[in-house]
Amino acid sequence: MFQWARNVSRFYIAHARSSPFAPSPLSNSRDFVPGFLLFSLAVLWGCGVKVPNTAGTFTDDLGRKVTWEGRVERVVPLAPNLTEILFAAGAGDRVAGVSISDNYPRAVEQLPHFSTLPLNFEAIAALDPSLVLATDQVNSTRDAKTFAALSIPTIFFSFRTLSDVPRVLRATGAIFGTESIASRAANDFEGRLERLLSATDTLTTRPRVLFLIGEKTLFSFGKGSYIQTLIDLAGGTSITSEIENDAPVLSDEFVLVARPNVIVGTFDKDFNLSRLLEYHPTWRIIPAIEAGLVFRLDPDLFLRPGPRLADGAYLLAKTLHPALMDTLLRAVSP
Amino acid sequence: MKKLVLTGIGLFVLLVFSILAAIFVGDESVSISAVSEVLRHHLIPGHSTSVSATVDLIVWELRMPRVLLAMVVGGGLSIVGVAMQALVRNPLAEPYILGISSGASAGASLFFLGFLPPLLSRTLSLPLAAIIGGWVSLLIVYLVARSHGRISVARLLLAGVAMSSLMAAVTAFVTLLSPEPDRLRGVLFWLLGSLNGVHWSQVPLPAIASFVGLAVLLLMARPLDALLTGEEPALSLGVPVETVKRILIAVAAFVTGTLVATSGAIGFVGLIVPHAVRALVGVSHRRVVPFSFFTGAVFLLWADVLARILLTAQDFPVGIITAITGVPFFLILLRRSGYRFG
Repeated sequence: MFQWARNVSRFYIAHARSSPFAPSPLSNSRDFVPGFLLFSLAVLWGCGVKVPNTAGTFTDDLGRKVTWEGRVERVVPLAPNLTEILFAAGAGDRVAGVSISDNYPRAVEQLPHFSTLPLNFEAIAALDPSLVLATDQVNSTRDAKTFAALSIPTIFFSFRTLSDVPRVLRATGAIFGTESIASRAANDFEGRLERLLSATDTLTTRPRVLFLIGEKTLFSFGKGSYIQTLIDLAGGTSITSEIENDAPVLSDEFVLVARPNVIVGTFDKDFNLSRLLEYHPTWRIIPAIEAGLVFRLDPDLFLRPGPRLADGAYLLAKTLHPALMDTLLRAVSP
Repeated sequence: MKKLVLTGIGLFVLLVFSILAAIFVGDESVSISAVSEVLRHHLIPGHSTSVSATVDLIVWELRMPRVLLAMVVGGGLSIVGVAMQALVRNPLAEPYILGISSGASAGASLFFLGFLPPLLSRTLSLPLAAIIGGWVSLLIVYLVARSHGRISVARLLLAGVAMSSLMAAVTAFVTLLSPEPDRLRGVLFWLLGSLNGVHWSQVPLPAIASFVGLAVLLLMARPLDALLTGEEPALSLGVPVETVKRILIAVAAFVTGTLVATSGAIGFVGLIVPHAVRALVGVSHRRVVPFSFFTGAVFLLWADVLARILLTAQDFPVGIITAITGVPFFLILLRRSGYRFG
């Protein structure tokens, strides 16, 4: 409360100074008195009425207590999924700049871009943010110390499971005072996934799915990853769901023995099946290859833990069950 | 001499045992009879097989080429290590000391991450880009070290170290700038050295390189011995020192370049194995060269088996394994024996 009053007074004084009609508060003591009275009134009014979007504290996902002053007018997200969450939660107009990897929503094209590997602290500081959003998948807490030295508070979010997306959406709404938009986005996300689940839950044929990130070196997802949940929701059975490592590099032999029915991957844009077979010639006897069921998926819909994961889930469902999903999705999609 | 023969026989038995063991071991357990079925099917013409296609592919197309390549690479790197240690008369020398591996890494990264002009990248392949990078780097080192028809060993070493740093910086620079995360991960895996995803077509060239290297170094066993005593004494023994040096550099370029282009820069094999072998059979190159070849082959074979089975269903860069398993063993060896270099 006290902090809020300080901010109001700062705002008032700044405003008074900038107005060409307002006398300088210190030039004449008589003129200063009404100003002071007005300020006191503002304080009293502030005591009675709850005003949102002012000084705030938030305990982030790393258990750090983050405090900031005033309404957050300028926020810098350090990763594309955080940008997408900010826009979905109704705080998109307060994003001051985005990383060079950002490309969604289209509004970010007009914003300044900064490099993230390594973080360009100067460029970010020049954006004059009152808050920075980070994720522990990409950023280190050392970065937060640097921002702290620049008097910029940093909030860290963790994304481990799909439920983290609506959770962070709602938290973002609380931070920016856009609770209703944010909770609508969160409910929409949860609702879409629930409807998809009800459509795929009853499927009796669940293809064995291999989800890859690379075509040459076989980076994939292991047990703890939310990708496993997405495959499940989309009506598939992941062949990597029992691998302990979160980001395993699979061996050709494993894939050969696991015999996936469908291979999907966030491959490069110029992906083609013959090159995959050139890298892994023994896969020619795998059902997915024999049936030609190898598909490239848009990386942004799967590798960014944000609201568009729901789009990814539907895309994957359509990929795994093309005929079935046409009818099912028409009945369940919003 | 008797001890030497016994060591030789022991090493040979170990090698055969290792090859067989390496074919059996893996994610999918394959029975001995299945392996012999597959081998007979492919080696004896007209022999039909009852083994499933999956097992056949695993044994013949995944494990066999990988086992053979591991041996060839391990053996080849080890003898080049021997040659480099003799060339610069320095126990720290290894196959990558002349900047070949870092040059190859830079070439491979530039190619793989799409930093070469399109005309060039269309005609190149990853191994070709790597070998060109390695050779460019070596050529610069060679030109710096050469003066008045002689090659200065000190300059060779320093230029090699400097070029390595420069090429490592180029690699780091392009990997940081890379816009494609998928390719970046691929390159990082390659840079660590891996025998992952080897096919039969990748075996012959490294095999030829390693065996040619072995033959050349065996023929040069006497000049190599002489070189270890120093250039002046070697000259007085009638050894054409400058020619020998050039041949050694050419062997390094050919063998190391080919091996690195195939499997990435697998570290420590070429440093550790020659020293371990010297501790075992003495310093004479007539023994050190062949023993290093077979010891290196066995060592990398087992390192790769470990890389394959350490994590279920997953592949691990063998370069990490060679360092983790080889270095402690090497340190113990250094500590325990009255080991002397040269």
